[in-house]
Amino acid sequence: MINKKSKLAGQIIFWLLIVVMFIYLVFPFYWTIVTSLKTENQLIMTPATFIPRDPVTKDISITFQNYGAVFRNDTFVRGIMNSAIVSFSVTVLALVFGSFGAFALGKLRFRGRTFSLYLILSMTMFPQISVLTGLYAVIRALSIPARTSMILSYMLFTLPFTIWVMTSFFKKLPDSLLQAANVDGATSFQAFYMVLLPLTVPAMVTTGLLAFIAAWNEYLFALTFTSIQSSARTVPVAMALFSGEIARQEPFGEIMAASVIVTLPLLVLVYIFQKRLVEGLTAGAVKG
Amino acid sequence: MSQHRLERSEQKLAMLLLIPSFLVIFLIAFYPLGSVFVTSFTNRTFASSVETETVGFDNYRKLLSLKIMKLEPIFDPDTGLQAIDDFSGEPAYQDPIDLLPRDPFRYKPLREFDLFGTRYVYAATDPKFIQSIEDTLFFTLTSVILETIFGMMIALIMIKNFPGRGGLRVAMLVPWAIPTAVSSRMWEWMFASTRVGVFNVIAQWMGYTDGQFPFLTDASTQIWAMIAIDVWKTTPFMALLLMAGLQTIPMEVYEAAYIDGCGAIRRFTKITMPLVKHTLLVALVFRTLDALRVFDLFQIVFAQKRYSMASFSYYQLIDNKMMGYSSAASVVIFFIILFFILLYTKISGGIQND
Repeated sequence: MINKKSKLAGQIIFWLLIVVMFIYLVFPFYWTIVTSLKTENQLIMTPATFIPRDPVTKDISITFQNYGAVFRNDTFVRGIMNSAIVSFSVTVLALVFGSFGAFALGKLRFRGRTFSLYLILSMTMFPQISVLTGLYAVIRALSIPARTSMILSYMLFTLPFTIWVMTSFFKKLPDSLLQAANVDGATSFQAFYMVLLPLTVPAMVTTGLLAFIAAWNEYLFALTFTSIQSSARTVPVAMALFSGEIARQEPFGEIMAASVIVTLPLLVLVYIFQKRLVEGLTAGAVKG
Repeated sequence: MSQHRLERSEQKLAMLLLIPSFLVIFLIAFYPLGSVFVTSFTNRTFASSVETETVGFDNYRKLLSLKIMKLEPIFDPDTGLQAIDDFSGEPAYQDPIDLLPRDPFRYKPLREFDLFGTRYVYAATDPKFIQSIEDTLFFTLTSVILETIFGMMIALIMIKNFPGRGGLRVAMLVPWAIPTAVSSRMWEWMFASTRVGVFNVIAQWMGYTDGQFPFLTDASTQIWAMIAIDVWKTTPFMALLLMAGLQTIPMEVYEAAYIDGCGAIRRFTKITMPLVKHTLLVALVFRTLDALRVFDLFQIVFAQKRYSMASFSYYQLIDNKMMGYSSAASVVIFFIILFFILLYTKISGGIQND
């Protein structure tokens, strides 16, 4: 009886936690959506309303004019394409190079392992702004086109991250798996992609999602590298250059509408991949 | 295959597998990073034809020189007691400007403080940079600690099986998915100093303020507002990584512990923590690194009202065109980050041995 009661109390606390968490995480996004559905006059109402309301009658009044304006903006629509190409390429490259490197660093014995790990990390220990001028000089000298230069330069922050996280996952896999594969006549590389790699799927999905989002949202490099090739502009740059079609001052409603549109594809991606976050590991395969 | 040959082939394979990563580093990191180091010892100006000269450690000396000096009280010649400042009504001390050295760089007072009944002045040759270091360190420590706690809580909840988990996982990543450029503007709007902002609406409901509190201009709340935004934004990053780490713990371990009568707290400290330690270390390294380099958040919300280390470096380059000075600031940031990473690995017993 007591057990049942405390179990119920546990359940209530559990769901209460979930509700609090949900509000904390989602409220600013909710506020973004609400703001994107307001007109300029509704934006400056005090006190701010939790649903778009008419300033005079206080009735609920929603407008989609901000969304219309955003979709009529060519730079923005092209920006979505550019962002998708760049982010997808960055993610694939980071995962391929990253899992190669992580397998070597996590499972193979060779000299200079720790040094390599720190060398890889050191490339991301400077603020972006300080490497910008040098990076720009390299890109001009090799005349790399804008999209490629974004893909390459985003490796600066995605590759070290992918390698470090994946290395920690490879380390957790028991050595016996590799030895067993070697005994069965597989080369170390075959053992890597046929036995070990499938076991790191949760880590790949996690790092892949985080890398994709980081690339999707990057602003400073994109702004600099697309300055001479405006057709390659990504979404964050396009949004920063909004001059506003409707608003007379800062097009805040339009920016918010654009950020809702930009965030939705990411949420769809997360929803598709979130199941893989759990399914990748079958407990039996990792037993030591 | 002999043991020796196996080792040799492993060595060869490892090198082969690392080639793509090293190629990328060589191509995009080697020259830019090297030139930051070299430039930091010069007086190079950005986008100008002024000739560059090597200045040795001057940039660093100007950035980092600190001094603490004792201030003498001022006595009232009539009473022989310490004079009272007419303006503030506080006991008067000599003006730090008269006391602080001017050569080769002028020291400017950062703040004054009392210790054992004596007044001291704390001064620096570049108080803005020193202030930015203090602010960024406070920002980093506080937000990383909060993110780790919240991230762990969320991760522990998320690996449980309950209805609606998929939807909640999507919700979990919302803050991380919104571009910082946008979310900082959103929060700026929410922190607005009138009741246009939702926090002032709520604070007024609760009776804390009159609905006019300037969260982003009041010096005491500025950094806390930044922490609130950063914790909200990057807790998902922490939670997702920890979740992936928790997934690799076989359920059997928990079941065995449960049967042996281990309580929830013991299960957490004895099983979860040791097994998730390595993932936590990696997550901490990258969060600390990102927080120490924080840029867009400060640049968008504060511009030049208050600096993070990286936004200081940015404005030295873009506004003041002092490329050498800005590079030196970046190198200082690099060493602060390096210090933290070495500290983490030391505490956790090294990257190599789990």
